[in-house]
Amino acid sequence: MPRILIVEDESSLATGIRFNLELEGYAVDVVTDGVDALKRVAGRKPGGEGFDLILLDVMLPGMDGYAVAERLREAGDFTPILMLTAKGRPEDVVRGLEGGADDYLAKPFDLPVLLARVKGLLRRRDWARGAVAESGPASARVGEAEVDFGSFEVRRDGATFRLTLLEAMLLKLLVQNAGRVVGKGEILEKVWNVTPDTATRAVDNFIVRLRKYIEADPRFPKHLHTVRGAGYRLDP
Amino acid sequence: MAVSGSQLSAPKRRKWLHITMGVSLIVVAVALTVGWQILGASEVARAREATTLRWVVYFFGTVLFSLLIAGLVLIVTLLVREVRLNERQSNFVSAVTHELKTPVASLKLYLDTLQMRELPDGRREEFYRTMQRDLERLHATINNVLNAAMYTDRPVVDAQPLDLARLVRHSIELTLTRHQLPPECFVYAGPAELMIRGDATALETAVLNLLDNAVKYSRERVEVRVEVAKNGDGQAHLRVVDKGVGMTRAHLRFIFKRFYRIGREVRRSRTGTGLGLFIVKSVVKGHRGTVSADSPGPDLGSTFTITLPGVIEEPGLVEKVLDHGKAAS
Repeated sequence: MPRILIVEDESSLATGIRFNLELEGYAVDVVTDGVDALKRVAGRKPGGEGFDLILLDVMLPGMDGYAVAERLREAGDFTPILMLTAKGRPEDVVRGLEGGADDYLAKPFDLPVLLARVKGLLRRRDWARGAVAESGPASARVGEAEVDFGSFEVRRDGATFRLTLLEAMLLKLLVQNAGRVVGKGEILEKVWNVTPDTATRAVDNFIVRLRKYIEADPRFPKHLHTVRGAGYRLDP
Repeated sequence: MAVSGSQLSAPKRRKWLHITMGVSLIVVAVALTVGWQILGASEVARAREATTLRWVVYFFGTVLFSLLIAGLVLIVTLLVREVRLNERQSNFVSAVTHELKTPVASLKLYLDTLQMRELPDGRREEFYRTMQRDLERLHATINNVLNAAMYTDRPVVDAQPLDLARLVRHSIELTLTRHQLPPECFVYAGPAELMIRGDATALETAVLNLLDNAVKYSRERVEVRVEVAKNGDGQAHLRVVDKGVGMTRAHLRFIFKRFYRIGREVRRSRTGTGLGLFIVKSVVKGHRGTVSADSPGPDLGSTFTITLPGVIEEPGLVEKVLDHGKAAS
């Protein structure tokens, strides 16, 4: 069941949207400010269920929606974002989309349109997952861990971890280049689709997460090594 | 990954550039004047024949330089004021957009839902109640905008006798109902009756705005004290004391200005348009009264005080006036 996070401080809107999304079969969480939204998204336990879509209001107490989207993208989180806001001027739309939103809907909106956009964004995510699942190896073995790229799952010691799309793409890139050092620039280009010189800690953060899935003791990795100044190397 | 941190936006940069240029010009003008005066004075003093002409030129030069500096200071002051108004206005557009569009969006969402789906009765009732609240909010915002337009620069021409004490108590009751609060949230301290001359509708709007703010800017617990009194010089006083979020001294200077709201609109934390206190001030000004605000600091609560002239001292006279009014109608 796809999970959706609603970030909206107006309780009547949040309740109404939640009601409709739940009737459509989605699992829905609601937070009322930007800081909580970041906490909730970042608070996803490694390998646990993440959000498949974020409905983000712009005018929020504390931290505005533009900043939330930018922070998420900076941290390497690419959960699709649908911005939902009273600010509907072209420059607002451009600002939202450039800051990291995938789609933008001005209030007041038509309910069927909102539901169709949500479906569209989730479908796009499924296509991307499908493309990753179909290219390259369907599964791999790294030490004790069994990686299934079809179901986006890692199984180790009886535990199952769910991979996000980007985690799966990064792991697959490392598996395909097993035994070779893969540079940070190459990873940024192939997984994140940004220029190799982009300044971000996203790759390091993702490596830390992958270690939690595949390593028995992530503090002393046996398979996923950091090669100082060069990149990362996976020894299955 | 286009990420801009806390960089200034283009209009903001332009604004600072203009202000910096103005201030630099003033500094240059002052430096020139001082330099010219020193040079001029020593020149005049050194000249063997300190003719009257030299002194006249020196005197007029000084006057002209002073005028130049005064003019520059005036222009920069006006510029800063204009910039501030512009900022408030753009915040206002943002706030009103949000205040109008949010309830409309919510109403539309619930209407769409009611049309699209078969709902059990209980759920439908709940939706109707939500829609009712949204409508009330929309109505309040529209009233706010209309009141701001109606009471701006308009002195009360047809002042009627009214009971300020009763008006205040009635406003407290309305506020309690509106915010669904228990009666103990408000404490009224004042006489049972205090007759003044004024425009009852306008004054009620002003008092309601003050009480509304006291609730809006309270934290979880609403504790508001409302005092009504008259002093010796025929003036009525109304004080609204809350224990809410308060404000800094810097904000106190601006809160009665039109469109002023504390903080940036995109990170709004409270509903509103920035018109409430401006309406209060306009209404009080229309009654030739005064309004002031005080706060010991953030999180220490605020006190708003209204002083109104026109207290009717003789109760007998009031009855006569009222009787006369009744007879006339």
